[in-house]
Amino acid sequence: MADEKSRPSVAGSILVVGGGISGLTTALEAAEVGYDVYLVEKNPYLGGRVAQMNKYFPKLCPPSCGLEINFKRIKNNRRIKFYTMSEVQSVSGTPGSYDVTITQNPRYVTSNCTACGDCVDACPVERESGFDFGMAKTKAIYRPHEMSFPMKYVIDGDVCKKDTCVECIKACNYRAIDLKMQPKTFDLKVGSVVIATGWEPYDATKLDKLGYGQCDNVITNMMMERLAAPNGPTKGKIERPSDNKEVSTVAFAQCAGSRDENHLPYCSYICCMASLKQATYIREQYPDAKIYIYYIDMRAPGERYEKFYKKIKDDKNVFFIKGKVAEIEEDPGTKDVTVMAENAMTGEKLRQKVDMAVLATGMQPTGANTKITGDITYDENGFVIADLEKGGIFASGCARQPSDVMGCTKNATGAALKAIQTLVRR
Amino acid sequence: MAADVTKGTVQPDLDFIRMLKKSGGDTLKKCMQCANCSVACPLAPDSRPFPRKEMIWAQWGLKDKLISNPDVWLCHQCNDCSVQCPRGAKPGDVLAAIRNMAIGEFAFMKPLAKIVRDKAKLPVLFAIPTVVLLLTLLVTGKLFGFGEGDEVAFSKMFSIPVIDVVFIPLFLLVVFAAGKGVMSFWGALETADAKVGKKRYIKPSPFDFVKYYILPVLGDIITHTRFAKCGGNKSRYTAHLGIFFGFMGLFLVANIDAVTHNLGFHTPYPMLSPPKFIGNLSALALGIGMLLVIFKRKKDEAEGTQVGSYADWSLIWMIVAVTVTGIVSEVTRLIGIGFVAYPVYFAHLVFVFCLFLYLPYSKLAHMVYRTTAMVYAKYTGRE
Repeated sequence: MADEKSRPSVAGSILVVGGGISGLTTALEAAEVGYDVYLVEKNPYLGGRVAQMNKYFPKLCPPSCGLEINFKRIKNNRRIKFYTMSEVQSVSGTPGSYDVTITQNPRYVTSNCTACGDCVDACPVERESGFDFGMAKTKAIYRPHEMSFPMKYVIDGDVCKKDTCVECIKACNYRAIDLKMQPKTFDLKVGSVVIATGWEPYDATKLDKLGYGQCDNVITNMMMERLAAPNGPTKGKIERPSDNKEVSTVAFAQCAGSRDENHLPYCSYICCMASLKQATYIREQYPDAKIYIYYIDMRAPGERYEKFYKKIKDDKNVFFIKGKVAEIEEDPGTKDVTVMAENAMTGEKLRQKVDMAVLATGMQPTGANTKITGDITYDENGFVIADLEKGGIFASGCARQPSDVMGCTKNATGAALKAIQTLVRR
Repeated sequence: MAADVTKGTVQPDLDFIRMLKKSGGDTLKKCMQCANCSVACPLAPDSRPFPRKEMIWAQWGLKDKLISNPDVWLCHQCNDCSVQCPRGAKPGDVLAAIRNMAIGEFAFMKPLAKIVRDKAKLPVLFAIPTVVLLLTLLVTGKLFGFGEGDEVAFSKMFSIPVIDVVFIPLFLLVVFAAGKGVMSFWGALETADAKVGKKRYIKPSPFDFVKYYILPVLGDIITHTRFAKCGGNKSRYTAHLGIFFGFMGLFLVANIDAVTHNLGFHTPYPMLSPPKFIGNLSALALGIGMLLVIFKRKKDEAEGTQVGSYADWSLIWMIVAVTVTGIVSEVTRLIGIGFVAYPVYFAHLVFVFCLFLYLPYSKLAHMVYRTTAMVYAKYTGRE
């Protein structure tokens, strides 16, 4: 029965690693019932992958409103302390008492920043936007996206010319730029830890037969989200990368890397729904466009998703072909792409020429490539396995298993409860 | 238990599935019908490509459909499908297992086929030719010595006429058995196609049949054209070409020797004579080809893209045994070590006998079945 006042302040806090939708949810749910939370995010903004999305399925509403509510909740909650541009180096200790080492990378912009944007005009250096998967450029000083939170600019230390340039310093009227900023490492003591490090889109260049990186008009589903997003590189107009042409035929290749022992052996859970959703993006902009979805099995779990699938199936311009895309080729002249598959229903090999192909690449947990040192168990694919018997360290969201946003928020709430239980030693 | 899919019900032949899994197709149940393999295959035609459909037929135990299907033979097993398979279902190995089952199904003199395909019966396999050859020695009175003399000459042990008496009937028997197998295979192919309404009503004349269907296929085989298309597997192409021409060369030389000897020429020919030269070159090609095959297979098996079955390895070792005993007996004959040369030569004859006698039942039967399937594919316009 831990009453708030008798709770020891240090061992009584929770560390949440990752500030995406799962981390935000765990942090907020725990903080709003009275526990102190440290939230550590590697990017210069909170919101993670969800911030890159155009719309949620199946309601087709933009994620921005939900994120905005969460950011407001964070601003109003004194119990959450968050660090952006920070990474957890190591976690050691036992349930109830962990020592955590955190490194914070320099933002080079202080809290004086008002996000006026004068620095951007002054900055002479350009960089590829990772947020837009290289489809757009930003200056070396940039705002990650239109509604990024915290509302501060950031300098990409790898490309900024620092002392040899200082144009941004000259342009800034608020003395908000400090090019001398250094990485700092600090320690925290916490009682429990929730890993919510999320996922990365599987590296499509590894799918060597599918032409990503070789054919201009082969993109990934996450790139499609950015293309369709109003704050994206094309302001929401879906056009193909090679010549900014409007698209009239688009093929989706499901299970691009997922359910494949040579890549990700598991089902990434969201890609079928994501492609169905993205079909609506295209159909909305191009009433005559034809869409071809190549699949092994369409997976639309649950009643609401099934309904959504049925709705898309009723669209006369969306075609479903049972057969995994095995190869994609580019016509060097027109830059059209040809997808190759066997239609398993008719037993015919298909070579279909389309304006653009979208690879429904799957989710790879961040833990596959970046692991936190310490008493954290990862499975062979990089997903965190929480030891519920022992307690202390838990996982939520896609760090745990591939999941949609709804699933993430549910199990993030559950993780908050488990973290609290460790604190009160139940 | 006939499988009949036309009525909408499937009667799986469970025994067939079990046998298939045992003879190298143990991964077949992993297939999820994603159809990646049909595109990965550089040889599969656009219409009804393989091996996706074969995989589901195999899972359903549709034995009749599988063995009366030319497609399993149009595969040259480059294993591109297995390498790219997202499930490790190894369609390449499953098709090999189906071919192996088909050879057994169409075999003439099935008991002999059973012995060839059963690992436990290996001693019986060798016992048959050994007994035949020992009896031959007994009959010719050479079992307990044949006046070796100084020069090693195998004709002292088995004179050419004796070899002819043993091997010519054997050859005819093999041709007959293989022919019977091929005829029932062809019949099955036609019956299966007739069932789905595909039939050639106007048959070509025998002359046209040879000209338009058999000869082009033989040309294809000699040049290994299809094999060359076979995906990421160049070393297999080279290896098979070496083995193929090695065999052809040796077969040719053996016949030249037999015929010319009977015409009164002295055999064996000296080392630099054309027949001997071709023979030695062929043996070399065979040896190198076999080394490549073994190396490649071991590598693929280590990488897990291929499972070697008894049918594969028994044939490989049999050919290796023929090659090695052939070369050793020749070399020891030339050096003049009789006590090694004669027994090794005897062993060589045993292995050659095996290779011949079991041709219609071992993996070597692919020679006739694949050729038949390729002719059939041409004949029915399936390419």
